[in-house]
Amino acid sequence: MIDDNALTGLIVDRLPDAEVRIHDRTGTMDHFNVTVRSQAFKGKTLIEQHQLVYRALKGALADGRVHAVELTTIIAES
Amino acid sequence: MPEDLKEEIAREVASTRIVIYGKGTKAAPRCGFTLETVEFFNGLGYPFEVIDVLENLPKREALSEMTDWPTLPKVFINGKFYGDTDILQPMAASGELKATLEEAFGGAAPEPKATINLR
Repeated sequence: MIDDNALTGLIVDRLPDAEVRIHDRTGTMDHFNVTVRSQAFKGKTLIEQHQLVYRALKGALADGRVHAVELTTIIAES
Repeated sequence: MPEDLKEEIAREVASTRIVIYGKGTKAAPRCGFTLETVEFFNGLGYPFEVIDVLENLPKREALSEMTDWPTLPKVFINGKFYGDTDILQPMAASGELKATLEEAFGGAAPEPKATINLR
């Protein structure tokens, strides 16, 4: 389990400009819809964009705080 | 990460053009996302293999390490990692996937199996 602020913090640590939207899909605080908007995605393929976010969440996924993420990435233009 | 597992994975993704690491088998997927991915590739018409890693935790960890991707299924085409249907669906919509597969297989997908005509 992880709360929205902690989850957002993990992503912003890696991607400081990121705007993060989180939706707890199941009410159990471990299955999330996560939308991340960042300039860091510019020039990257979709898979590379997702890998950037997954790297930020690596620890939380490995220790089970987060079970599942449905991820959407948006390239911030400015 | 155990080197033998890494080598095993490298060998598998090099020997088959489309490899899906998932939970369960092609005939009997044991996870909704693996099923979705199998159906996705069934619809494309190219041959593919599903490697069941549900019970093989060390191999799942090795795969996650190698790809920076935490979840199953994981799809490899021509040895290159393509994530899952969240990546492949948009690639299919943009035409990128068709080009990738035609390059991997050296041509278009075989025609879908002919339907049986009853007289």
